[in-house]
Amino acid sequence: MENIETKTDEEIVELIRNENKELYGQIIKRYQDKLIRYAEYIIGDHDKASDAVQESFIKAYINLNGFDVKKKFSSWIYRIVHNEAINLIDKNKKIVKLDPDIDFDSGVNIEDSYIKEELVSRAHNCLETMDINYREPLSLYYIENKSYEEISDILRIPMGTVAVRINRAKIILKKICQTKK
Amino acid sequence: MSDKKIGNLKMEKQKNNIENKIMDKVLSGEVKMKPKWYFIMGSITSFVGLVGMIIGAIFLTNLTFFFIRKQGPGTGRINVMLDSFPLWVPILAIALVILGIWMLKKYDFSYKKNFMVVVLTVVTAILLSGLIIDFLGLNEIWSKRGPMKRFYMEGTGCMEKACPKKINNR
Repeated sequence: MENIETKTDEEIVELIRNENKELYGQIIKRYQDKLIRYAEYIIGDHDKASDAVQESFIKAYINLNGFDVKKKFSSWIYRIVHNEAINLIDKNKKIVKLDPDIDFDSGVNIEDSYIKEELVSRAHNCLETMDINYREPLSLYYIENKSYEEISDILRIPMGTVAVRINRAKIILKKICQTKK
Repeated sequence: MSDKKIGNLKMEKQKNNIENKIMDKVLSGEVKMKPKWYFIMGSITSFVGLVGMIIGAIFLTNLTFFFIRKQGPGTGRINVMLDSFPLWVPILAIALVILGIWMLKKYDFSYKKNFMVVVLTVVTAILLSGLIIDFLGLNEIWSKRGPMKRFYMEGTGCMEKACPKKINNR
């Protein structure tokens, strides 16, 4: 195995498809932590998130020949986890509603550092009550360090919508966290 | 051992479990990759389906314009027109447009664009194509010969060769 660590995800995928199935373990190693964390932000339960990620890896393997190596593998695998997590939520009929009292037009400029700090330190408490439409892009942007373009590819929404949702999510998060303090 | 350490060990064990479980399935052949041709066929089928739907929608839109022109309000007999108008044509045209748009939504580019603009562009293109075919008189030719003839006969109240002159009288 020549220097697999230095290869890109897309190069590894090409090798898995044509030569060596065992390299899929390398992909799992690279992504499982990040994906479980991401799924946990969506589902809110570690065990269910692990199940969703396991199922996603299996689905990704089955459909590996459908992946276009010119695109980013990370966006593709995150998209699969997103779908799996949403299906799981739908099955469990867990409805998380947005607080109707929250005002989006406050015009508050919230520091990114504040948001990141809140997310990392007390994320679960604050995020649990946030609508999934806002929670998901926020965690992708601040926790997973994804760009707007990658988030757009994962959630299949236009980049403008990603920006709007993240901005609204910041305001919501600040209000939720402040009331929980 | 502290709770944190136990928690970390538990998570580490769970991670290894996930990797082992998946790799066991992969290496034993329990989980198999779908072949490349499956995805190629899927892309070709959906593209052909989409093109077919758009062509069908253009044809049916043009057919609707043709029937309206032939039996239209100009005759002053709206009720008669509605009675004999083959409503399945515009209904099927609308259904094909909706299906076509639904299929377009499956394509990668669709979420990157403003989807309302994509929808409006498709609908406008179909309506314009239908009008252009009508303006060029292609439907007049199709109504007289070829496999489409029977469709054009139906909406004008004629079947087969029963009243070809009526169709010709504009």
